[in-house]
Amino acid sequence: MAAGPQPVCGEPVSEAPVVPVTVPVEAVAPAIVDSPAAGQENVRTRWESWMHAVFTLREDRFFLMLAVVIGVFSGLVVVCFRLAIEWTQITLLGASLSPSFPRVVLAPTIAGIVVALLAIHVFSRVRGSGVNQVKAAMYISNGYVPFGTVIGKFFVCALAIGSGQSLGPEDPSLLMGAGIASLLGRSLRLSQEKLRLIAPVGTAAGLAAAFNAPISAVLFVIEEVIGTWSAGVLGAIVLAAVSSVVTMRAFLGPDSLFRVPPFRLAGPGEVLAYAALGVAGGAASLLLLKWIVYARPKMQALPRWTEYFQPAAAGLLIGLIGIRFPQVMGAGYAIVDQAMHGQFVWQLLLLLAALKLLVTGFSFLSGTPGGLFAPTIFIGAMLGGAVGSIEHHFFPGLTATIGTFALVGIGTLFAGFLRTPITSVFMVIELSGNYTAILPVIISTMIAYGISRAYQKVPLFDLLARQDGLLLPSIEERREMTSFVVEDAMRTDGVLVAEPGEHIVEVARRAEANPEAALLLRMRPGEWWLLDRDDVLRLAPDAARTTTPIHAKSKGPIPYLFRDQGLGEALQVMGDWPVLPVASRADLAKLEGILTLADTLHAFRKTPKEEAE
Amino acid sequence: MSAASPSTVSEESPRILSRELVLILCVLALVVLLALTALLSRMYHKKIHTLADAMFAQGEADEQAGQVKAALTDYRNALAYNPSNPLFQLHLAKALAAAGRGEEARSYLLNLLSESPGSGEVNLELARIAAHNSSLADAMRYYQGAIYGEWHSDPIAMRWQVRRELCDFLLSRGAVKQAAPEVIALQENTPAGDPARLKIVAQLLLRTQQWNRALEVHRTLLAADPNDEESLAGGAQCAFELGQYVTAMEYFDRLPRERREQPDLAYRYDMTRRIFAADPFLSGLVAEARAQRVAGALALAQTRAENCAHQTGQSLVQSPPQTDLQRVYQQGRDLQQDWAPRYLERFPDRLDAAMAYVFSVENASAAACGEAQGDDRALWLLGRSRSVVNQ
Repeated sequence: MAAGPQPVCGEPVSEAPVVPVTVPVEAVAPAIVDSPAAGQENVRTRWESWMHAVFTLREDRFFLMLAVVIGVFSGLVVVCFRLAIEWTQITLLGASLSPSFPRVVLAPTIAGIVVALLAIHVFSRVRGSGVNQVKAAMYISNGYVPFGTVIGKFFVCALAIGSGQSLGPEDPSLLMGAGIASLLGRSLRLSQEKLRLIAPVGTAAGLAAAFNAPISAVLFVIEEVIGTWSAGVLGAIVLAAVSSVVTMRAFLGPDSLFRVPPFRLAGPGEVLAYAALGVAGGAASLLLLKWIVYARPKMQALPRWTEYFQPAAAGLLIGLIGIRFPQVMGAGYAIVDQAMHGQFVWQLLLLLAALKLLVTGFSFLSGTPGGLFAPTIFIGAMLGGAVGSIEHHFFPGLTATIGTFALVGIGTLFAGFLRTPITSVFMVIELSGNYTAILPVIISTMIAYGISRAYQKVPLFDLLARQDGLLLPSIEERREMTSFVVEDAMRTDGVLVAEPGEHIVEVARRAEANPEAALLLRMRPGEWWLLDRDDVLRLAPDAARTTTPIHAKSKGPIPYLFRDQGLGEALQVMGDWPVLPVASRADLAKLEGILTLADTLHAFRKTPKEEAE
Repeated sequence: MSAASPSTVSEESPRILSRELVLILCVLALVVLLALTALLSRMYHKKIHTLADAMFAQGEADEQAGQVKAALTDYRNALAYNPSNPLFQLHLAKALAAAGRGEEARSYLLNLLSESPGSGEVNLELARIAAHNSSLADAMRYYQGAIYGEWHSDPIAMRWQVRRELCDFLLSRGAVKQAAPEVIALQENTPAGDPARLKIVAQLLLRTQQWNRALEVHRTLLAADPNDEESLAGGAQCAFELGQYVTAMEYFDRLPRERREQPDLAYRYDMTRRIFAADPFLSGLVAEARAQRVAGALALAQTRAENCAHQTGQSLVQSPPQTDLQRVYQQGRDLQQDWAPRYLERFPDRLDAAMAYVFSVENASAAACGEAQGDDRALWLLGRSRSVVNQ
């Protein structure tokens, strides 16, 4: 298929020199080391050979190697970050899950003042969503994430979360990963393209280490940051995520974040129980979304001097609530674990879900840096547990435990609130290390996702970006954008196919009968030529019996397409050809239609209504 | 970079050197960060393990002091710092179960069970919760899991104890059929030289009405302590139920009077006495006495048949006989002359036939009119035991 379609998404041409990667050691080193000097020479030669192999790698391969380094760095930093949060929490709130009265109020309030001062005067970019900061780095600043932000996120978020603010460590972690990746990429002078891609690689590493969930991290980056399954970066993302998780586990252990007893779905009827949870989760995620969407602009509109006191005010409110309900403070993973073990009655579960929704709003809207992932997990678990308890009350025959409902609730709220359905499903499995919940999670998350989409058109991250004055590409919109294929634009008429052995008079006769049709010559299966109509018509009157279309002027062989190929891909192949044949994949000699530039452009201009028709 | 081609070196040297330097710095930074993380991680783990252990110890102290609520909080705190610690989870689960919060405990226990399905302790706790929830199938499953599970200290004793608990549970639920094989297994696993456990087994055998085995165990116990009242009482009950009235009477006679008159023994003792008074087959009786006893039994049976016929509104002389009672009664009617006391004394071979008639009448009456009382019941019991002996 010499003239077949060219690869559209092939590997980008490396900017690094393409030289032989390795030089056989045997070719350089002497076979026998017969003196110390010769031995030293041998070692030096080997070293140089190795260094040469490393530093003259093609950039793609170097990028993959770098992804592992990014993963290890990110894993280490995330471990330190998590330890910092724990230390801060023990120091400020005490070791007990129920902090004593003065601490519970004073710690988040005073820490709030410090956080505000640091965020305003020292680390001015620590506020805001880490996901959007990564996207901004990728789409606006060529992969640049200031390293100061990494340091800022580390200390300010550790202080905020450790003091009891209702935020999580995942969002800062992913930004830290991206910041480290960006620093390494810049230091190693990667190409512009790779620099742009390196932020998502770091993001995956940071998130994977924070969640102890490499698959979810990879999926999240694809679903929310990149938006496509780009083969060019997927390998690096996976490597970074895996290496960061391995690093993290080396220090914090291999245990899943939550431990849930296994269960089985007794019958199809039980699916309804999870569908109900999906509806509740969808409603709750909408509530949280609307609460943030509504209140954030109002908070941003407050006078600037109030920014000094907003985190402290949020901390005070959280502390006051924490006197009676300390469970809502901080990331709350220990409480989620308790809920999964059925430690709370449904009334308390519902109350905790509602309070967490409220205090998370306080923390986030006050501009306290930190992530929304952990609160989402908390609210989802509490809501799931409550729905499960209520359903158990009315249907005691349900086999699933409260823990299972809590677990499914996590995925449900995650899908509804963050709008990453695939990530949500896999996250639940990875967080619990339990595959048995997959079917309920899929059912529940899809319902919640549907409800959230129906009543909140713009996803959370896009909304936050717009409120911050950034016009970042909407991954959800991009993900669901209609992709046109050749079939949408090709035409099946307006073409005449001539055979090499056909008499030219016959071809000319057919061409005269169809004055608008393009003339294609089928030399052999998979080889098409474009005939010059005028030349065919010119030769025909005086043609001998042996004159065939081969004798006419023609261009070719021309590339051909298949009906399922994307139109973007077709445009790349089209080049200067006025028309391209669309062949059958089953039979390359069979012409299914033709594609012209005008047809292609017309297809792109089609309105949705026309498309539906 | 001697191995690279000259052109490559000349064109790319600054970049290669730069990367080289950066990568070396990276490696250095990595080593430093690694060391720092390792140090912090070690300090952190030490700290949280200390905290967790302290809280766990506090929880145990609270539990021992009867402060269940405080113990629960301590265990939870300990678990928050060491979530995967099975000991903490087990203690929390036990404390929850002890506080009557079985469902909450169950969740932790199921989690532990998924990690170590062979744990005897976890299975036992789950069994207790299931037993508390009256879930027979689950309780049986978990008890079996505990019996055949792993025990860290004294597994034989623990398994024996668990099986005993299972037997108690089953009997408390009235599941005698399910309990019987467990009690037998318990007996098989009880050493003969352990009277305390043998007594428990004997009681369980009595409760599952395995009279032969119970009698055997009681005999073993009495061999060790001939005057043990419980063993004598148990042995008497077993012997009575087995129709071994001589043995039963022997045990009854060795018991103090007060004990014999207690409700669990009084009826059986009374019956045994009646049987002894009515039984013509007792060894040592003279022919006259045997004949008198048979004659008395015949008279009693006659009266019992007549009363029963009256009660049920049937005529004993109806011809042809329709009921068992009529049939049995009429079969013996013609032999009444042969069974006169003088003939019975003279012809001892008639005693058996006469008593067989008595037993048949008593059986037919019992079937038609319900269980007899008093001497009639004694005769019926005697007949049943004779039938068993004959079989």
